Amino acid sequence: MTPGASDDEDDEARADLSGEIRLPATLDSSGELPARAEIAIVGGGVMGLSIAYHLAHNDLTDVVVLERGYLAEGASGRNGGGVRQQWSTELTIRLMQDSVELCRRFAVDLGVNVWFRQGGYLFLARSAKEVARLEKNIALQNRCGVPTKMLEPRAAQEIVPELDLTGIVGASYNSTDGILFPWPFLWGYARQAAAYGVRIFTQTPVTALAREPGGGYTLDTPRGRIHARRVIDACGAWSPKLAEMIGVTIPTWPIRHEICSSEPLKPFLRPMVSELASGLYCSQSMRGEIVGGVTIPGHGSTYAMGSTLGFLATYARRLVKLMPVLGDIKILRQWAGPYDQSADGNPIVGAVPDHPDFFLACGFVGHGFMMAPIVGKLYGEWLTGGAPHEIFERYNLARFASGASAAHEQEDFNIG
Amino acid sequence: MARKIVLCRCEDVTLADLEHCVSRGYRDIEEVKRYTGFGTGPCQGKECLAPMATQLARLTGKTPAQIPPFTSRPPLAPTPIKLLANAPEAHRFEDDPT
Amino acid sequence: MAVARRLPAFDPARGEPVEVRIADATVRAYPDESVAAAALASGTRVLSRSLKYHRPRTFFCLEGHCSGCLVRLDGVPNLRACQAPCTQGAEVEGQNAFPSAEVDLLGAVDFLFARGLDHHTLMTGSSVLNRLANKVVRQLSGLGKLPAQPARELPEVGARVVDACVIGGGPAGLAAAIACAERGKSTLLVDDQLRPGGSLRADPRGGRDAAEARWAAARAAGVEVLARSTAIGFFPEDDRGELAIASPDQLVRVHARAWIWATGGYAVNLPFADNDRPGVIAARAVGRLLVDHGILAGDKIVIVEVPRVAREAEDLEAALADAGAEVARVPLADVVGARGRSWVSGLDTVAGRYECDLLAVAAIPSPASEGPRQHKCKVELDPDAGGFRVVVDEHGRTSTPGVWACGDLTGFMGTDAAARDGARVGAGAAASL
Repeated sequence: MTPGASDDEDDEARADLSGEIRLPATLDSSGELPARAEIAIVGGGVMGLSIAYHLAHNDLTDVVVLERGYLAEGASGRNGGGVRQQWSTELTIRLMQDSVELCRRFAVDLGVNVWFRQGGYLFLARSAKEVARLEKNIALQNRCGVPTKMLEPRAAQEIVPELDLTGIVGASYNSTDGILFPWPFLWGYARQAAAYGVRIFTQTPVTALAREPGGGYTLDTPRGRIHARRVIDACGAWSPKLAEMIGVTIPTWPIRHEICSSEPLKPFLRPMVSELASGLYCSQSMRGEIVGGVTIPGHGSTYAMGSTLGFLATYARRLVKLMPVLGDIKILRQWAGPYDQSADGNPIVGAVPDHPDFFLACGFVGHGFMMAPIVGKLYGEWLTGGAPHEIFERYNLARFASGASAAHEQEDFNIG
Repeated sequence: MARKIVLCRCEDVTLADLEHCVSRGYRDIEEVKRYTGFGTGPCQGKECLAPMATQLARLTGKTPAQIPPFTSRPPLAPTPIKLLANAPEAHRFEDDPT
Repeated sequence: MAVARRLPAFDPARGEPVEVRIADATVRAYPDESVAAAALASGTRVLSRSLKYHRPRTFFCLEGHCSGCLVRLDGVPNLRACQAPCTQGAEVEGQNAFPSAEVDLLGAVDFLFARGLDHHTLMTGSSVLNRLANKVVRQLSGLGKLPAQPARELPEVGARVVDACVIGGGPAGLAAAIACAERGKSTLLVDDQLRPGGSLRADPRGGRDAAEARWAAARAAGVEVLARSTAIGFFPEDDRGELAIASPDQLVRVHARAWIWATGGYAVNLPFADNDRPGVIAARAVGRLLVDHGILAGDKIVIVEVPRVAREAEDLEAALADAGAEVARVPLADVVGARGRSWVSGLDTVAGRYECDLLAVAAIPSPASEGPRQHKCKVELDPDAGGFRVVVDEHGRTSTPGVWACGDLTGFMGTDAAARDGARVGAGAAASL
């Protein structure tokens, strides 16, 4: 064969997006660290970035975010995207009501799609004891204005026709709970924070942290040293490692939770479905995948995030019992992330006693992502001159030393 | 007819999409994977990881040897849930004592 | 126009033909071939539409590693047609297109976003628009529908304990397994294709017979061969470290003293404009159709190639020409782009346009390194080797003790060299046990 003549059509073969408005880069991949900043946030997950965004939104832009790995490397990039208001403590419920509202507005406020879908959360009970637990929580949620309902099994099946009701005795359902896609939250917060002037550095671990005698802190990284008047420890499960550099002990430890996703399917599953007996949860993402996990008892405290056959098998076994029609559905990928378990199941936020200008945002036990929008907002308002919200007192690190921890309500709905 | 150089077939990621991603500052292969979606589809990067990584090296001024692959996770092929349910590794909860 | 056709002179020892239904048409097929081959031979062109731009999609690698041939088979979604054997009465349907894969209204997206689409920022201007966008995207999402029924049964799980486990039944893997078994080691060979042989089945020089002979030799040497089986993961924390294998009917858990990875390289695409057009198929797939199935995939075939695989491209050209096709070869450096709508109709090059009905892409096979990476073996991106090759010493040992690698997986070397490499590495691994 020999070639003939070509058409005159314009050749977009090297098609590129030039001609569009070039946006400034969000991440500072190769720039130098500034010598000083008003606030250094250590940890570029959703909590650190939400705080950075809200600080800058409230006109405090002299902020640097230091992320030790790639963006979304920590738990923020590994979770299932669940957002719920079904909790067992009033404070958490009320915070989550605010967070849900922020999630609803995120795409337009921050200019990045997060695919927040309020399809509800359905918790399934397999015993009278579990039913009683749900009913107690529902009463509290209703008092706060969250419209959770207790359902008979058949009513649960109307919401999820694929359910096998064998062994299910009741369910709780709140239609305003939902699911989001986690990664875009990081891009959205980072993009807007950067647009305000916040500098975000990835691949920049803090190797040393020290108090300066005159006030403030020095942080050492492979890219150089930075002085910051205030430091926020937003390292998630790794928060204790930063804090111990200045002699602060945080009673949290990492628990590995594994998770997986299936091949993409046309939309069929409306709510997040969870069963209390196993801690199994699953939902359908905006890409159509079934994303879910289950709690493996005996997955001890570790930072190692490897994958096990035990998880796949446990999840498969529970899932196919719950929704038999999924038997021929294929798992595409499994991964893992750390829950940041605190000694009393409640978060640890606020200033650290005897360490001026050092702040914490950790201990969220696997629901830090859904809390980040509101916690970031509250920090943003407080550290720019507003009054501190009660969480910075109620959930302060000081409670462990003073023994006040036992007196507080403990959140017991840290499921999934 | 729209002309695109498709680098990731499963997720429809073109060379232009990759260039856009890099211009936004996302240059680590793990960040590029998440932002563009390459490697997250049914083939999990079998067809596209090496070609994307090679282009990423070129766009970021690195040698190919400096670009690591993204994390390889199980399962290495889409695996039906039914095959896994009876594995002895499965934890049996109280209501499933066999 | 797709003109794939069966060559009448092909070896008739195929077994009794069966009938399968492909998108409402009844098609004659053979039990030893894949649904994909049968579909191609009966004129199937477009199978589905791509996720973001809704561009027409169809077969590409025919080896179970890309996502080009996903179909709904007997009520189960998202199955690879190229790995599904033809059984009597099988029902095959396309997915993800309205009203059909050939004519898809959403193909307009591809035109609207000629330069590309950043779906992250799309329609974030107002909350009304954004809520609408969310709803539309969800309705469009997903590839296949839920299965028609629950799975018939939950199979029991098997187990093997062996001296050597070889993953990959191509020229390197078969040779390595034979070497181990001949030295008295209990050997398991895992291969994910319909029938073992790997790239041998696409090589016009040896043909089907070479693949069958080596497979038979492996069995004769005492190798247990698990065909149609995929190693889905090495799990270091489970049962002191085990490999899980997904076979058609059950999971098999394997413990071995030596792991020999011989997974070869994937048949990948090359970067040029509209390289995803249906009718742009991996050259190795075109070779496989010819050599293993007796199907000539086109009448006017252009092979796009890179220099490293010139010998393979030359062999393919000769075999296609012998079978009656008009063939041309074009170096990638000269390519501008593919032309055509729902099937390729031509190739634009710097020297002008070639008319064609098939574009065979001859890229360097990309080392299939996912498994060794789970053992934490060192890999290195080397474009001349095809991609992320597994780094080995002169004995085929990877950076992880107890783990070997051979053949194209360590860098493209071709079928002859892969067979020699497999034999050598297998012998060394056996000697170490």
